[in-house]
Parts: sequence; structure tokens; C-alpha cells
Amino acid sequence: MKTFSYTITDEVGIHARPAGLLAKKAKEFESVCTIEKGGKSVNITKLMALMGLGVKQGDTVTVTCEGADEDKASEALKAFFEETL
Amino acid sequence: MKDKIFGVLQRVGRSFMLPIALLPVAGLLLGIGSSFTNATTIETYHLGKFIYEGGVLYTILDIMSKTGSAVFDNLALLFAMGVAIGMAKKEKEVAALSGAIAYIVMNTTISALITAKGGVEAMAENSTTSVLGITTLQMGVFGGILVGLGVAALHNKFYKTELPQVLSFFGGTRFVPIVSTVTYLIVGIIMFYLWPIVQLGISKLGVLVLNSGYAGTWIYGILERALIPFGLHHVFYMPFWQTELGGSMMIDGNMVAGAQNIFFAELASKSTEVFSVSATRFMAGKFPFMIFGLPAAAFAMYKTARPEKKKVVGSLLLSAALTSMITGITEPLEFTFLFVAPLMYAVHCVLAGLSYMLMHILNVGVGMTFSGGLIDMTLFGILQGNAKTHWIWIVVVGLIYAVVYYFVFYFMITKMNLKTPGREPDDVEPKLYRRSDVNEAKAAKVKSTDKRASDVVSAMILKGLGGKDNLSDVDCCATRLRVTVNDASKVMDDMLKASGASGVIHKGNGVQVIYGPKVSVIKSDLEDFIDSPYSDDPDSIVGTEKASDKIEEKPQTEGAENTETNGKTITLYSHMNGTAVKLEDVEDDVFSQKILGEGAAVEPSEGKLYAPCDGKIDSVFDTKHAVNMVSDDGVEILLHIGIDTVKLGGQYFEAHVSDGQEVKKGDLLISFDMDKIKAAGYKVTTPLIIGNTDDYASVEPVAQNSVSAGDMILKIK
Repeated sequence: MKTFSYTITDEVGIHARPAGLLAKKAKEFESVCTIEKGGKSVNITKLMALMGLGVKQGDTVTVTCEGADEDKASEALKAFFEETL
Repeated sequence: MKDKIFGVLQRVGRSFMLPIALLPVAGLLLGIGSSFTNATTIETYHLGKFIYEGGVLYTILDIMSKTGSAVFDNLALLFAMGVAIGMAKKEKEVAALSGAIAYIVMNTTISALITAKGGVEAMAENSTTSVLGITTLQMGVFGGILVGLGVAALHNKFYKTELPQVLSFFGGTRFVPIVSTVTYLIVGIIMFYLWPIVQLGISKLGVLVLNSGYAGTWIYGILERALIPFGLHHVFYMPFWQTELGGSMMIDGNMVAGAQNIFFAELASKSTEVFSVSATRFMAGKFPFMIFGLPAAAFAMYKTARPEKKKVVGSLLLSAALTSMITGITEPLEFTFLFVAPLMYAVHCVLAGLSYMLMHILNVGVGMTFSGGLIDMTLFGILQGNAKTHWIWIVVVGLIYAVVYYFVFYFMITKMNLKTPGREPDDVEPKLYRRSDVNEAKAAKVKSTDKRASDVVSAMILKGLGGKDNLSDVDCCATRLRVTVNDASKVMDDMLKASGASGVIHKGNGVQVIYGPKVSVIKSDLEDFIDSPYSDDPDSIVGTEKASDKIEEKPQTEGAENTETNGKTITLYSHMNGTAVKLEDVEDDVFSQKILGEGAAVEPSEGKLYAPCDGKIDSVFDTKHAVNMVSDDGVEILLHIGIDTVKLGGQYFEAHVSDGQEVKKGDLLISFDMDKIKAAGYKVTTPLIIGNTDDYASVEPVAQNSVSAGDMILKIK
């Protein structure tokens, strides 16, 4: 299991566009990737749940990847967060 | 095997958190209350004027002392229930009840045997105690843990057990308290014979300690700590404190026996020049590690907790550390790491032993009423003067201890990745299944197992009740599944009967499905099934070949077939008045490349967004430019007004619905000022996206050119 935390710097947070891109990124991997904010945790590939988290600028989220390629998945998602969010 | 034991210990440790959270409060009550109602304290500090028996202040302190003490006295019961709750997989309330019953049964059994043997007098000294008014063997928290673990194991094994039809009322969860009672009756008998042997060994150790000087003091310290989790420390140290095992001395012409008695006799005596360390060596060692060492360990645990957990863990650790520091009640802190990191506790025992020895060597003559916190150190050390007590060494050694504890704990936690509070893996939400779990479950489904059969029944029940989203509450009585549904019209009696029900009763939104006495097992299976990922789509199980075989076995299956929804087409209707646009043509690649999913878009002619079907609003974006909703059929729909309009921050949009609201097709969801949005430089093209496209075989746009709200726009299969 790989975990990292990230504090959102993008001013509009995880709205439709980044949610779509993020889910797409997570689907590339076999590992199950979840994102947690304020005690609520959802699967990143579940678009509606992901958007439902309402992640905004300044929120700290914890991303967890678990599965065969968890290292790669975690790295890729981390890179995505750093670039996009 | 080793991993398994370790895993179990970790779960035990976690299950302790519930009762442990209560301990700091109880500890403060007990510590403050008992220190100031202690006759010696009152006499020594001439507090008799303010604190006297029957007086208001005394009574308040007495209440504090007794209520705090009540928690500690019944700690074993709290742990019996707490561990049972923590370790039970499901139906935890039943495990709690069973834990309480088993604990009472076990102690009552022991009590009866003690009476049969000739009462407390016939037992070894200090080996008995009174628990909940029952005279029983002194087993401490160990007794509670023994019950908690055993009951949880019984519970997990039997809570779904089906008994023969005649006895089936007693099956399932009802069987757990029954089997626990019988088991712990037997355990009680065993413990009555076994425990005194353990106790005897411990008191033999005491003799050994006495005959070995400084090293003996060290061993005494280690054992005193090591026995705490087993509740055996009283058996061990009480003789030293209260009998001639701890030495005897002539003070002011009276023969006094026992370390604590000697100390207090010296305290009361006017002729004492220096307190006898031969007595206080059994007490003074507590101060350095209770006031300095353990709080530093708590700080190390805080520092190593995951950042997002620090706040929660911090309050637990801070209160536990303060309790240890002020009152010398260490259990709240020790139990936070004892079970998750037994090795760390072992190191703690060795260091604690060393503390006793150092106090002995340094001639520190500070005694205590019952433990080594700041209260006792102040009363019996500082206020007595350094000349009499050499209390300053407590501070010197204590400061070194703080540093040692901090670094030892920090090092062990990080190097060995110990799961102290705030480092444990998150409890995975019930819905988040690992892929491997799902694959395993799928494999199990293919193979013919009993599990699958019960899942099929559960799937049929779930489907018959109108699906997971239609359930508001599920419970059962002696023979019936009692369900509250959101929409009674979706309940399919035929399907329920096919699942084995002998009848279905409707009362408004209440549905009672009659299964007979085996219902409690059916309910447990159903709850398991609802927590599993398959419950989102019971058709996938009911619809399989095997399942239809199952249905055909039952006589009353007619009509079950036509409830089959596989292959049904779901239609969505236009969410706007305007012109239909292909998703591919939307000027935003997130939509046009279908990264969010399939769908269709409308170039609106009017600033109004309507519901494309009946369903429920999942979330309205804070910026009000988009809405997520779930249709009654389970289609996840994203309606997104305009391109990049998130940047407007909600300006020009007005939401008419809120999260969780039920809507009907054609309801107004959001209105917006089209002209101003366009003037601000944004497009208002509005895609309708199926977020769970992967769940369907096809999503096909059917509208072209001009559309009105309510016209067909998408067909989903």
C-alpha cells in the first residue's frame, strides 16, 4: 500500500475537468486508488463520488494505492496532483 | 502464524481504545480524590479543618475518588465488552452483550467454587477480590481480555449458525450469548484451578527479589510493570507494601511491617531524619518514568503519528500523558502501545526496573499513597525536604529518562514501523474492496459453495425489495424481515417469495417478509451482501444461469421471470431547450474525448437546466455550474453548464435543488444568466455525461438539431 498526502493549490479544486483526468489516470493502473478528505474516502475511478468529495483549494487529501502496481500508480498520481492541482 | 498473532494483537489494541479513552478522566478523579481523602495526607498537612469526614469538601473528594475507582474496579468488565466489540466482525452489539454475560458467568462460577472450598479464608492471601459484588479470583484486566477474545471468537463462528427448524428461534445471533454462557462456565472452572498456580509462582518471585539487593530491586521493578496487563501486580507488590516481606522496623517503639506502612509511620513520626530507602525502594522508582519517561514516550508517539491523524491522536496522548504525570496512573498510556507493540512494552519494563534500582542506589526516600505522580511526589518528596528524601534525584534521573524514552520510542516506532495510535492503516470503508478481494469473491462465485447459495438468496431479496437504494432500514423480529423502503411500489412480492419467503405484508412503506425463525441468519447474510460490491447490481447474480436454476427449484416462481431487467433500455430526456450537439463536437477535450464518459450536449437557447429523468441529486457543485445526480435506475449523470465556467465561482448561476434531494424528470435544477456568462467570455454548451459509462453496454445519443427539454436525448443499454 502506498500513500501520500497533498494539499490542493489549484484555486478551483477538483471540479469536473481534473476529476475526469484524474479518474482516467487512475484507471490506467490495476491498483485500487482511493482518495480521502475529511474522513471520507472514495475510489478515484468513481467519477461522481470523486466530484462529490468537493475538494477545494487548501484541502489536504490523502491518496492511497493498493495493488500489484501500487508504486507506479502512486507515483503517477502524485505527479498528476503536483502538475495539475 | 507470527503475522497472524501480531495482526490479532493489533486489533485487540485497537479495540481497547474505547474503554481506554475513559481512563484519563477516571484516573484524574481517582488520583485527586484519593490523595486528599487519605488520612495520612490530611494529618500531615493539617487539612483536617477543611477536609473531614461528613464535610462538603470531603464528600466531593470522596465521590471523585469512588467514581474514578469504580471505572478501574470494573475495568475487566469494560475490556470484556470492549474487546468483544472490537474483535467481532458483525452484529457487534450482540458480542458486547455476550461479553458481559460471559464475564459475569465466569466470575460467578469461580465464586461458587471458592465458597465450596471454604471461602476466602481458604484461599491464598491477596488472591481474591470482589468484582461486581462477586467474590472471585484476582485476575485483573486479564480476566476481561480472556472473556473478550473468547467471546469474539465464538461470536464470529456462531452468529450465523442455523439450528434445526424446531430450535431455530435460538439460532444466529441469539445463539451467541447462549454458547458464551456455557463456554465461560467451563472456563471459570478451569481458571479456579489454574490461576492460583500462577499466583503462587508470582509470590515465590517476591521472595527471590527480597534476597538480592539492588538487582532484586531491579527485578521487582520489571516484574511490577510486566504484571500490569495481567492484573497480577497487586498479588506481587502488595505483600511488599503491606507485609514483612517488604521489611519491618521499629519506629517510635512500634513494630511496623511492610514498605508502605514503614514510610507512613516515618512520615508521622517526629523523630525521622531520613526516610528509610529499604522501604521506599519498592515505591520511589515509579516517579522518574511516570512523571518524565512515559509522557516523553507519548510525545514520541505523537511525533510519529501520520500528519492528518495528529490532532485526534494528540488529544488522546496528551490526556493520557497528563494523567500519568499528575496522578501516576499509567494504564491509559501503557495500554495505547502495549498490544500494538509488545516489544516496546518490554523495553518499558526494563527501563522501569532500572528506575527502581537507581532510586534505591541514590537513596531516594519518597513514598506514595498509591502511585508515583506529581501529587505524591509533591506531598511526600518535595514538601518533606530534600534532606529527608533526596527527591532532587527524581528530577535528575527523570530528565534523563525523558530523553531516553523519547529516543528509544521514536527509534523503535520508525525503524520497526510499529502501529502506534495514528499510524494504523485506515479502516477501509465497507464499499472499498480491493481488486483481489473482488476477484476472489468472483472465483468463489463460480465454484459452487454454500456462500454462493446464500448470496443468491440475498440478491433475490435485495432485488425483490427494489434494490439497495430503495432500502431505508432493515431489521428482523422472530420470524419476519422488517424493512422500510423508500418506494413501496418497487417491491416485487414474487421475487421475495422465490427467495423462500412464505408471505409478504405491506404497510405503507413498511414491508414484512415472512421467512420463519431462520430469519436472523437471512438478515445477517443480507447485510453482508449489501456491504459487498455485488449489491449494486443484484441482477448480475440473480440473472446468472445458476440463479435461475435456483429459482426454478421453488414452486412459486411464476412471474419471477418478467421482473428481469437485464437488457432493458433506459432513456434520458433532454436537460435543456436548445440545439443538440454531439459530445465529440464540444469545445473541451475532457468532454469531446469522453474522458468523463459518454453522453450528449445541448447548446441552450434559454438559461435553464432540467432533470433528464427521475432520480436523486448527489451533489451540486459549490460553484453551482454543475450537478451530479443518480437516476432511479442507477445511472450516474453529470450535468455541466458551459465550458470552464468553474472560474465564474458561482456568479450568474442559481441552484434550485440541494444535495440529496429527490427530483422528477423535468424539474428545474439550475437557472443561469446566459447572456452575462457569454459576455464574460465563456461558452454555455452543456454536456450531459454518464459517469458510470463502463457499467453499460452502450450509451447512444438519439437527438439531433433542435430539442426541447423532455425530448429523448440518450438511450442506455
